[in-house]
Amino acid sequence: MTTDLRLQIEEVMIEESWLLDGNRFEDWLALMTDDIRYWAPVRENLGRDEEDFHQLHLLTHFDEDRMTMGLRVARLRTGFAHAEEPPSRRRHFVSNVKILDASSPESVQVASNFIVFRSRPGLEEHLFVGGRRDQWVHTEAGWRLRERMIIFDHDVIENITVFI
Amino acid sequence: MTDFASLVDLDRCTVSPRVFNDQDVYEVELEKIFTRTWLFVGHESQIPEPNDYLTTFMGAEPVLLTRDASGSIRVLLNSCRHRGMRVCRRDHGNAKLFNCPYHGWAYDTGGKLRGVPQLEESYYNELNRDEWGLIEIPRVESFRGLIFANFDAEGESLEEYLGDMAWYLDLIVNRSKNGMIAFPGCHRWRLGGNWKLAAEQFGGDNYHAGALHRSMVEIGLGTQGDFRGKNPWISDFEVKCGNGHGFINFDIDSGEAPPIQAAFFEQIRREAVETLTPEQAKLVLSVQVGTVFPNLSIISFIGFTSVRVWHPCGPKEIRVHSYGLVEHDAPPEVKEITRKMLGLTFSSSGIYEQDDGVAWGDIAEFQGGPVRRKYPFNYQMGRGHGKRMDDKPGLIHPPSTEIGVFGLYEKWREMMAR
Repeated sequence: MTTDLRLQIEEVMIEESWLLDGNRFEDWLALMTDDIRYWAPVRENLGRDEEDFHQLHLLTHFDEDRMTMGLRVARLRTGFAHAEEPPSRRRHFVSNVKILDASSPESVQVASNFIVFRSRPGLEEHLFVGGRRDQWVHTEAGWRLRERMIIFDHDVIENITVFI
Repeated sequence: MTDFASLVDLDRCTVSPRVFNDQDVYEVELEKIFTRTWLFVGHESQIPEPNDYLTTFMGAEPVLLTRDASGSIRVLLNSCRHRGMRVCRRDHGNAKLFNCPYHGWAYDTGGKLRGVPQLEESYYNELNRDEWGLIEIPRVESFRGLIFANFDAEGESLEEYLGDMAWYLDLIVNRSKNGMIAFPGCHRWRLGGNWKLAAEQFGGDNYHAGALHRSMVEIGLGTQGDFRGKNPWISDFEVKCGNGHGFINFDIDSGEAPPIQAAFFEQIRREAVETLTPEQAKLVLSVQVGTVFPNLSIISFIGFTSVRVWHPCGPKEIRVHSYGLVEHDAPPEVKEITRKMLGLTFSSSGIYEQDDGVAWGDIAEFQGGPVRRKYPFNYQMGRGHGKRMDDKPGLIHPPSTEIGVFGLYEKWREMMAR
């Protein structure tokens, strides 16, 4: 049962990567619920016993809802989002999918790891690496993403022009 | 030996490309500029308690901003006096002692050397600990919570150094009764490019916005395509402040704020009448962007405020440290709206800021060839069209102009030629 669930979630995550790497951003957004929270707290170098990303009002690289995700995607379509024009080459790798909580059949908490490679025209090549904590909910249309917390494993990060 | 003064042509208002990509120029900047000016190191709200600390950089030097055990603010080189390793490698915290990981020398938050392993057995008690405290930056001064430090023990006070710029900074940091506090955390990201390209843009380049940020206009967020405003001289203007500082003010309609934020804006406007002069109060909550020479910039609009340092990291790399400021008295919901807006627009992923980084990186990376270097960049826009006004300090220009931007290079030239 858990294996089956994990395979279902892995399948939708592979679909996400496929859509993102293929510049199909609107189709990717369609995999999110209307009340999506897509966020990425900044990381801090603190003591081993101090959690850095649960502080109240901590700055975030992303803290998006459906509306602002839509803006980010619409901007990429204008032809004038110069950091992605011409578009970077991107490749998403998602692994280590682990079901954290499947106590409700309609909603699961899932951890995963990611590596996103980005190559920009004439400029450097970069990796974005980290983990994700997702909540996926089951709807009539299939699994939909309700929350994604992106935990970047970077101290000083690169200019973030990609979706994770 | 390079004649640095020749790289900035005061008569023609031009700047050599070498200023932006030359390793020799960079090395001299670290000495002649970054050890002789007031550099921003943090906000008082980030170190509220005795023994609180924050680590950052002043030019090429890692430093500790501390509040010592007696409550005084100090800035210390983050470098053990024995072999030089950084004694603290965390971003911030509270500690009575900084223990150097290498051999264990221990310093308090005032910089005093407190502990030396084997002091008796191996130094035979012949080491005078009073002589080997952390190197202290001689001058530290604050402006409305913004802490600056200066390696140069002599020279202008911070207030004198800011000059006319203080009036404009007050529009943001003194617009409310109880002032501002920093959000926890720091947007830290790396960009290709020279630190001065970032500093000049925030110090007076609104001209770029219509082209570089055209995507924002296309999706309906830049309400005015040319980013020039409608009331030149009055509420839409740029200022050359002297000492290399510059400021931009635009009264652009930023759209409708959520009701709770709109109510808070009204509160700020009421408070500003008391904390500022009438001339200043009229400008509160405009779009405001500025640079304090050399590498501190501030941007404030739709309620959010970022103060960021463009840390130089070689001639072609910038490490940005951006802190978010918000009114101390803002309701929690407003703080959250503000924090999200800051991340969305001006941050490591900001839908404005993403594109800025690409321009600066391109210029530094591709324009260092021996041919291109012979042809200077043009900073002539608006030359001779500014004036002094009674209601606000500095040399005022209607947008767009590059006279404020060029002021940064006039200051740069003056310091590099010394």
